Order: sequence, then structure tokens, then C-alpha cells
Amino acid sequence: MRPMSTGTYTQLLDLACGAFLLAAVVVLWRRELVAIVRTFALQGIALAAIPLLIGLHEQRWGLIAVATGIGALRAGLLPYLMRRALAALTPSGGEEHHYEEDVSEARETQPLVNVAASLLTAAALTLLAYAVARPLVALNPGPAARALPVGLAVVLIGLFVLATRRRALAQVVGFLLLDNGITATAFLAASGVPLIVELGVSFDVLLAVLVLQILTTRMRTAFGTTDIDDLRELHD
Amino acid sequence: MNVIGPALGAASALAGAGVAAGMLVPAWGRSAAVGACTAGTGGAGLVAGVAALGGARWSIGLPGLLPLAGVRLAVDPLSGLFMAVAGAVAAAVAVYGIGYTGRGAHGASSRGAQAVLPLFALTLVLVPAAASVSTFLVLWEVMALASLLLVLSEHRERAEVRRAGLWYAVMTHLGLVLLLAGLALFAARAGGQSFAALRAGAAGMSAWIRAVVFVTVAAGFASKAGGVPLHAWLPRAHPEAPSHVSALMSAAMVNLGIYGIVRVGFDLLGGGPMWWWLGLIAVGAVSAVYGILQAAMASDLKRLLAYSTSENMGLVLVGVGAAGLFAASGNGPLAALALVAALLHMINHAAFKALLFCAAGSVLRATGLRDLDRLGGLRQRMPVTAGLFALGALGAVALPPGNGFISEWLLLQSLIHGLVVPGVATAIVLPLAVAVIALSAGLAAAVFVKALGVGFSARPRSKQAERAAESPPAMLAGMGLLAACCAGLALVPGVLGSGLDRAASAAGLTGAKALSGGGLQVRLQQVPASLAPLWVVIALTAALAVAAGLPRLIGRRRRRRKNARLWDCGGGAPTPRMAYTATSFAEPLQRVFDDVLAPEQDVNVTPVRESAYLVERVRYQRRVPDRIEHRLYEPMLAALARLGGAARRLAGGSVHLYLGYGFFGLVALLLVLAVGW
Repeated sequence: MRPMSTGTYTQLLDLACGAFLLAAVVVLWRRELVAIVRTFALQGIALAAIPLLIGLHEQRWGLIAVATGIGALRAGLLPYLMRRALAALTPSGGEEHHYEEDVSEARETQPLVNVAASLLTAAALTLLAYAVARPLVALNPGPAARALPVGLAVVLIGLFVLATRRRALAQVVGFLLLDNGITATAFLAASGVPLIVELGVSFDVLLAVLVLQILTTRMRTAFGTTDIDDLRELHD
Repeated sequence: MNVIGPALGAASALAGAGVAAGMLVPAWGRSAAVGACTAGTGGAGLVAGVAALGGARWSIGLPGLLPLAGVRLAVDPLSGLFMAVAGAVAAAVAVYGIGYTGRGAHGASSRGAQAVLPLFALTLVLVPAAASVSTFLVLWEVMALASLLLVLSEHRERAEVRRAGLWYAVMTHLGLVLLLAGLALFAARAGGQSFAALRAGAAGMSAWIRAVVFVTVAAGFASKAGGVPLHAWLPRAHPEAPSHVSALMSAAMVNLGIYGIVRVGFDLLGGGPMWWWLGLIAVGAVSAVYGILQAAMASDLKRLLAYSTSENMGLVLVGVGAAGLFAASGNGPLAALALVAALLHMINHAAFKALLFCAAGSVLRATGLRDLDRLGGLRQRMPVTAGLFALGALGAVALPPGNGFISEWLLLQSLIHGLVVPGVATAIVLPLAVAVIALSAGLAAAVFVKALGVGFSARPRSKQAERAAESPPAMLAGMGLLAACCAGLALVPGVLGSGLDRAASAAGLTGAKALSGGGLQVRLQQVPASLAPLWVVIALTAALAVAAGLPRLIGRRRRRRKNARLWDCGGGAPTPRMAYTATSFAEPLQRVFDDVLAPEQDVNVTPVRESAYLVERVRYQRRVPDRIEHRLYEPMLAALARLGGAARRLAGGSVHLYLGYGFFGLVALLLVLAVGW
């Protein structure tokens, strides 16, 4: 196989990174948990595209295999698990009931920071990521390293989602955004970590999601809601 | 041939055997096995120390023993002195401990407490041998933890033990933090953490770094030595520990605080400006007076002895401070004399305080009481213990022919002759220090008259005291060894002369020759003074014999003696409740020092019902709280508790809040980084 030209590689990589960042912002914008999970799956595809492109450009087959694995996990398995959890929480199907107010578990009805402010914050966080990553980019100015701030921005947005969203499932997505961001940063900065570390991290994430899925169901049975602010009762 | 290495090896092996014996031997033979091993450890330490005092030096580096830093040991005469004292005390107290812990299976004779004892004895011997900061701190911490476990060994029996253990743990770790900070700064600035590197690097450090190092390290060591205001653990931990442990702590462990100050201040830092030493003298003087005043008010026998430890360590600190002061003003020989006096007082204190704590332990074991107000009449029931306690008390009151007298006399000599040193500070401080020593000696006399007279003479004031019986032979043997040390120190202190000189010159102060003259005489080379303790003792004994015997001789010739009942003012036979108690004996002193002690009095009058004139009950309560604790520690603890309560509000239970902390922390950090670039 002929390596793709540098121009095409750069454009495709930038496209993937742009989609990756956009997906994170869309997660902040949407309230429907179903839509959030769908966006997360799309982000998984964009994330898988990054090592794929790097692998094709640098002719590293191992990286392409990793890309396939990441795509299967982040765009396939994890969204599937979350959709199942969502279906368990809303037995009659979330879509038909979205006009009922507040009782629906399928909507992020009252985030601690409203959507408009969230989007502005995301912009500010992206700027911060670009500012912070400047010295890192200066170390090795190539197309991959120039896209590095995107990974950091997604890390920050993931943390922001964790800190401001009420529904347990939205929290899970926040955590996974954080992890996607870390993975993307690793690929963009160092063309990926050793395979064994990547495997370990992926397994870890899978376990975390499984545990969180169980916890979410338990929370629902214990408190009747998955608003994690109700966990405060455990403190008192 | 150098015996230090083999002796220290033997001490370690014996301590290891003792730990194993404490773990494995069943209850009937446990204390004997552990006691024998601990005594062996102490004996080996004594041998090593004496060899080092004789001028031998020894050092070893064991890089594989501790990860990263390794272990480095070195013994010079200064460490030898402290090793010898710790070893001798540990050996005698271990023999005593065999009888004290007996064959029980709980408390002080439990598996854990017995297994820790040899380890504690070993660390007491090894701490002075440490020759690098890491080795020193590790040994120091093992010593603190071992003593903490020993203090806690009776925690099932009494709740106060747990509270005392908590105080001790917190105070000793505060001290450790100070030492860690000071020594780490020292090592970082000196460019190496072995003592040799510190010694070499100290001269090149800036004055204020040296000052910071000295002040933090001295504060840490002073807290171990019971210096006011960091003494708060001492009157709590010493009474609640089993008595043989109290003896070890009070006679051997607190000394290591003095060792640290001498080692760091004189040897490693090579002396310093006057204000360091004036501060040390001030701390010592306050400790001496405050300690002995609190001892005068205490009616708990072991608490009294603990406060007396604070007093004696205060006197030693005064001596060390005076030595530094003289050295700073260039008067080397006088500095050496003051240091020798301080070290000799520390040795004397170790001997008599170990004996006193052991005797107090015998009383506690025989009666179950520490409260002097409820003791009494023990002289007839426990004659040997009473005699040994009297011997120890004689040493503690600093009057001839006790052993404490000689060192305090030396200390006074050095302070009085120190007035030749020019300067306003010395002209004010030295006379004040002399007055402090005199005052504390006077109060000590009252304290020990109280302890001996109220505790051992008169009639028993409780059933327990009435039923007391003499202690088993192992305890008497241990106390006998300590008593022999006291007597030896009182009669022939001159034998220590050359050893003490070597220790002082190892600390960098040469040319004292303070105690010379073939052992029988103490002659000072620098100042025209000499003392022959043996002759003092003989003269005093003769005078006493004459004073006691002459009236009897004359009286016998005049008329025969008749035994008659005591005149009781017609109020019936006097009961033991009418006799002087410790509290009533101390009452006049309390009135004199009312402003310092600030006692709390409470009178509760309960009238008979429906009558304002007939009184059913009058309840009088008086407490003499430790005022420094009251004014310094309690507000501080309350403030800390408030702070902790306020900090709980940070943890409100909301997961979002916790996640928000992480988020804002990260963003703030990144912002700082972004702006910084």
C-alpha cells in the first residue's frame, strides 16, 4: 500500500479531530440521553479514525489494529451497554414520554449549568487547552501535534460534564469523554501508548462502565431517580 | 582490640532473641526470658559505651540495610556516654521488670508488650550511634513507636492510658516533624546527609539558615527532653506506662533529647551565636522551676516523678545552654566545665530517677495505688523499698551526700565563674540561672520530703496500704543495682572524669579536666574549687551519728524512757485521717506560688432540707491544673477542632461538589501554567 500524501493526511486528521471536538460540544448541547449516547458513539468513530489515519500514514499495522479495537469498544460496545441501561431505566421507552415533564429519566432536565452557559464554557475551555498546549506543540510541530489541544479540550469538557450534569448516565458519558480525550491526547502526542497499556485502559473503562451501569440501576431502585445529588442522603 | 562493634552486634542479637522470646515463650517463662535478653542488650550497650568513653572509636556503613540511604553508625565518646547510661539503665530495669511483670498474661506482661521491650532497649542504645540523618531519624522513630506501644500496654485496664497514649503519640510526632524539617534543611544545605558531611558543610551555611536549623531541631529535641512548654506528654505518659517502662523512658529516653541538642548544636553546627544559648537557658530555667512546682502540687507519686524529670532536664538544658554561651564568647575551658556538669547531672538523674520510678512501681504493685494521699505506713511493710526510695530521693534533692549534689554544685560553679564572660546578657542571665537552680533545689527538697514522708512514714491511710507486702527478689535486685549506681556516683564521681572530658571534647569543647584527682576528689582546674565527696559523706555521717546518738546517751543517763499515749486534746485517739496528706503538706507552697499555679477551688454547701442553718454536707474541691496546658494547649486544641469542623463543610456529600473541586483545581492549575508561560 502506498502511503497517503501528507496533504490528504493532514486534512483527514484535522477533520477527525474536528469531529471529535464537535461531538464533545454536542454532548453538552443535547438534553436527551438517547441523543447524548448516540453522539458519544459518533465521537468513538472519530476517535478510532485518529490512530487509523496515523497508522495508514506511518504504515504501522499495529496501530490500525488498535484503531479497530478502539472503534469496536467506543463506538459499539460502550454505547450498546449505555443504551441497555437507559432502556432498563425507562421500561416503556423514553422517546414517547419526552413531553411529560421532569419525571422522565431519559432527559437531562436540569443541569447545574444551563446549556447556553455550558457551550460558552466549552469555548473557554478549548481556548485554555490551546493556550496550555502551546509548549507541547512547539516540541514537535507536525500535523498530529498541532491537533493535540483538541484532546486536552475534550478532557476538560469531560470533566465539566462530570461536574455539572445530574443524571447518572450523563455522568458516565462525562467520564467516557474524559477517557476519550486522554486516549486522543496519547495518540496525537506520542502516536499511541504500548499495546498492553492500551488494552489495560480499555478493559478498565469497560469495567467502570459495567459497574456504573449496575450502580445506576441500583440507584434507581433505592432513590427512585438517578439524580446523583440524591446521594447526599448517604452523607448525613 | 575494639570491643564496640562486637558489643553492639551482641546487643542487636540479644534484642532479636528477646523479641522472639516475647512472641514465642508461654506466659510462665516469658518475662524471665525477655528480661534476661533485655538485660543482656543493656549490658552490651554499657560495655560498648564504656569502651567508647575510654577513647575507642568505631564506625560502620551498611548500605544494604535500608533502601536508598543505607545505615551508617559511628561511636565517639559523646555517643558512648549516652549509650553507657542507656545500657546501664536498661540492664538494671530489665532485671526489675522480670519481677514487676511477673507471670501474668495481660497488660505489661502480654505477648506484645514483652516483645517490644527489648526493641526499645536496643533503640535506646543505638540512637546515639547513628551517624547519618536517615539512620538517626529511623532509629528515633522506632524508639518513639516502641515506647508508645509500651505506654499503651495497660490500655485494657484503664481508659486514661489510651488518652495518655494519644497525647504522647501526637507530641512525639510533632517533635519528629520538627526534627525532620530541621535536619532535612541542614542536609540539603550542607550537601550530604552523613554527619561527616553535615560537619563539613555547616561552616559554609548562611547565618539565618543555621539559626532556623538550630531552633527547629532544638525544639524537637526539647520536646523529647520534657522542656516547657512542650512537656505536656511527660506527666501523662510516664504515670500511665508500666513502671519499668516509665523508668526506661524517664531515665534513658529523655536523655536522648539532650544528646540531640549537644550533637547538633556543638558537634554538627559547631556552636552558634549567643542568642541560641540564651534561649536554651531560658527554656531550661522555666522547665526547672515549672516542673518542680507542679511536682510539689502533684499527689500522684508517678506524676510527681515525671514532673521532677522535667525539672532535672531543665537543669541539664541550663548547663548545655551555659556551655554554648561560654563557647560563643570564646571561653573554651569554662564551656567544657558547664557541659561536663550538665552531662554529669544527666547521668545522676538517670540513676536516681530510674531507682525512684522502680520504687514507685513496687509501691504500685503492692498496693495498687499511686495516690500519695491514700498511702502511708509503707516503711514497716516494705522496708527495703522504702530504704531504696529514700536513697533515690536523697539523690534527687541535690543535698549532700546525694549524687545530685555534686553535679548541681559543678553546674553552680560554672555559672558563678561564668561572670568573667563580658556582656550585659550574661550579667543578667547567669545570676538568674543560679537563682533558678537554687530555687528548684529548695523546692525539690520539699517535694521529696513529701513523697518520702507522706508515702512511707506515718500510718497507712487506706486498706490497700495496710495490706502492702515487700516486692519479689528480682525487683529488689534491679533496684539494688540502681542504688549501687547512685551510691557510686555520690561517693566517687571522679572516676567518670576522663570519660566526661573525652565526651566534651568529642562535642568540640576541649580542656575541661573538671573531674580529676583520682576518683576520690573533684578538683576544678579552671576555677579554684575542689570537693571530696567521700569526705563530705564521712563527715556528714559522723555529724548525724553524733546528733542522733548524743541526746540518747545523755537522756539514758538522766531517766528511763516511758511509752505513753499521744496527747489528743481530749478528742479521742488520732485517726490516720488526721495525719498530713500530700495535699495538705503542699498547701503552704501552693499559697506562696498562688499566682503562678492558679489553683481552682470549689466549695459546695448542701443545707439540710427546709433549713438554711443546718448544713448536711460541705464539699470542697481543689484542683491545680497544669496552667500551660490550660492556657496554651486547650485553646489551640479548640481552635484545631473548630477548623476541623469548618473543614467538614467542604465535604457536603454532594458528588457534584467533589467533582467540581477536581475540575476547578485542574482549570486553575492550567490557567496558572498558561499565564506563566
